[in-house]
Amino acid sequence: MKKIGLVFAAAALATCLAAGAALADIKVGIMVPTTGSEATYGKDMENAVKMAMDEINAKGGVLGQKFITTTADDGCDPQMATAAASKLTSEDVTAVVGGYCSGATLPTLKIYADAGIPFVITAANSSKFSDMNPGNAFLVNAIGSFQVETAVELFKKQGVKKLAIVHQGDGYSEDLASLTQKKWKELGNEVVAYELVNKGEQDQSALVTRLKSKNPDMVFWTAYYADGGLLIKQLRQGGYKGKITVGDGSTDAKLIQIGGKATEGVYALANPLPEFLTTGQKFIADYKAKFKTDPGPYSALTYDGMLLLADAIKRAGAVDRKAIIAALKKTDKFPGLSGPVTFTDKNLLANSNFVVLQVKDGKWSLVK
Amino acid sequence: MDLFDIVTQQIANSLILGSFYALVALGYSMVYGIIKLLNFAHGDIYMVGAFIGFTALSLLVGFLGDGWLGISASLILSMIATGFLGVGIQRLAYRPLLSAPRLSILITAMGVSLLLFNTVMAATIGEYKAFETGLGFEGLDFGNIHISYTQIVLVLATALLMVALTLFINKTIYGKAMRAISIDMDACRLMGIDVNKVIALTFFVGSALAAAAGVMAGVYYGSIHFFMGFIIGLKAFTAAVFGGIGIIPGAMLGGLLLGTLESFGTQLSWIGTEWKDVFSFGLLILILVFKPNGLMGRTEIERM
Repeated sequence: MKKIGLVFAAAALATCLAAGAALADIKVGIMVPTTGSEATYGKDMENAVKMAMDEINAKGGVLGQKFITTTADDGCDPQMATAAASKLTSEDVTAVVGGYCSGATLPTLKIYADAGIPFVITAANSSKFSDMNPGNAFLVNAIGSFQVETAVELFKKQGVKKLAIVHQGDGYSEDLASLTQKKWKELGNEVVAYELVNKGEQDQSALVTRLKSKNPDMVFWTAYYADGGLLIKQLRQGGYKGKITVGDGSTDAKLIQIGGKATEGVYALANPLPEFLTTGQKFIADYKAKFKTDPGPYSALTYDGMLLLADAIKRAGAVDRKAIIAALKKTDKFPGLSGPVTFTDKNLLANSNFVVLQVKDGKWSLVK
Repeated sequence: MDLFDIVTQQIANSLILGSFYALVALGYSMVYGIIKLLNFAHGDIYMVGAFIGFTALSLLVGFLGDGWLGISASLILSMIATGFLGVGIQRLAYRPLLSAPRLSILITAMGVSLLLFNTVMAATIGEYKAFETGLGFEGLDFGNIHISYTQIVLVLATALLMVALTLFINKTIYGKAMRAISIDMDACRLMGIDVNKVIALTFFVGSALAAAAGVMAGVYYGSIHFFMGFIIGLKAFTAAVFGGIGIIPGAMLGGLLLGTLESFGTQLSWIGTEWKDVFSFGLLILILVFKPNGLMGRTEIERM
């Protein structure tokens, strides 16, 4: 009798748990690279989702239900990513947060779309998302071309008349350079020099003299920090007195190290890193306390992405994928750490979230 | 900036660029002169010299500061250490092959080059190292022309090293031995000259000069990396061929002329600065086709 009672009680408990799980948990898939060269960034993002989830759950969850997560490794590789997407789809997740490498994220869009799963992409930002988005993916990070607008705005604010642009001929830096040139000319301004330097070239004195002879009041460097530091140093050594701006590929502490004192006053465009956000200090402190490591560049955006998803579910009023997608579409100035989130009709972030930094006393600081 | 300004500024630019080329070209030329070896590892010795100087400066900075005192001390330390590295490479990799066909020793030189290159790459995880010094950008201004004191000091230091080398080659007994070996090694052996010792000394001097150039480039440009020796190695080879390989003043002249050509060539408004390397290596081909002995070379008569 006792035995039967025990079995009965156990069965009742199991039923209760099972029913509880079905009712109480919203399963969110995290798709990030957790192996390979980009694994650090992926781990940062996974941590950020979990941190946001724990905070929401601590406040009682959404619609009385709590979140749980499951992680799939995309390895920053298109093939691994499609396998990861299929895994998450088969686990029947309500939504997916993540996406670091554009190349690996793009081929998964259709898999999630076929299953009707909403996908909040928090780092990947290729402009290809504009054409390839089937409608269920939402980009919390600003796509690359927004950087041009932030750059042009900065130049206008600085009263620039003659702009010089220097790139390195690779896809990234040439794109940024040519888009900026186009935009700057459209506004009726002058680009006095549009130059290309070879990668790894140490001596840029010839270029410096060439630039100086054109007398620009702003030099815009669109490539990476290592050669950028050299150019800035040699510009100052060559007696160039005008202003200098660098693109987000150069926004790195190493630029200041390599360029030394020459980088003082240099402007830089950057993704919204938590350390430069007024709301970011608490985030950094919480993150460090929880994971004993620095947040990394994409964790704030990913944290925003998870909170946005929870907000959308709340607004949808039901854990229903279609309703969640509709609610995400209607997002209006959601207050994220990295700035307000509103989407365009292509589900891209409507406003540039690029920030402008300047080197002050050998450190990056935010320009208000 | 008017034309005069541009020309003057470019002369200053080409002097500094040419100095680096000349210092590295000297090592190429000396080694070729004495054992007829194109030491393709020479560019990498320049790179290793820069890293040794970088390490020395980061160790010395607490005692001597990051100004000229600390830099000079690191420069000298790096020249000595890299000089011995050159001697070691010569002893282990080249001396056993001295009587082997030239091709074997040339291939060994490439092997040494890859060894140095990959060792530094592994040791630095392929990262750029910021060569931080306390030098500023103050300098002389003539209208639009700006020449920093750093540039002036580096050019003077190069000139000093070249004068010292010329005196060493022409006035000392070891210099005389080097010149003698470059003419006829076997005859020198018969005359009782310790050929191996003199060859080792040549490698020491050549490597030390490359290290000096490496450290100066680090100080001047502000960053060093494991592949910095590759292009300059090829450029210095061009400079050495330009001036006449094996001829000491030829290497100096070749280096300075190559620097000038690059600086002025890329100022033509219809050519961008990305064409710099095309100028150098185009010149190399022209020289090899039309004047293979270089500007200061004599036509050699092949002895049978």
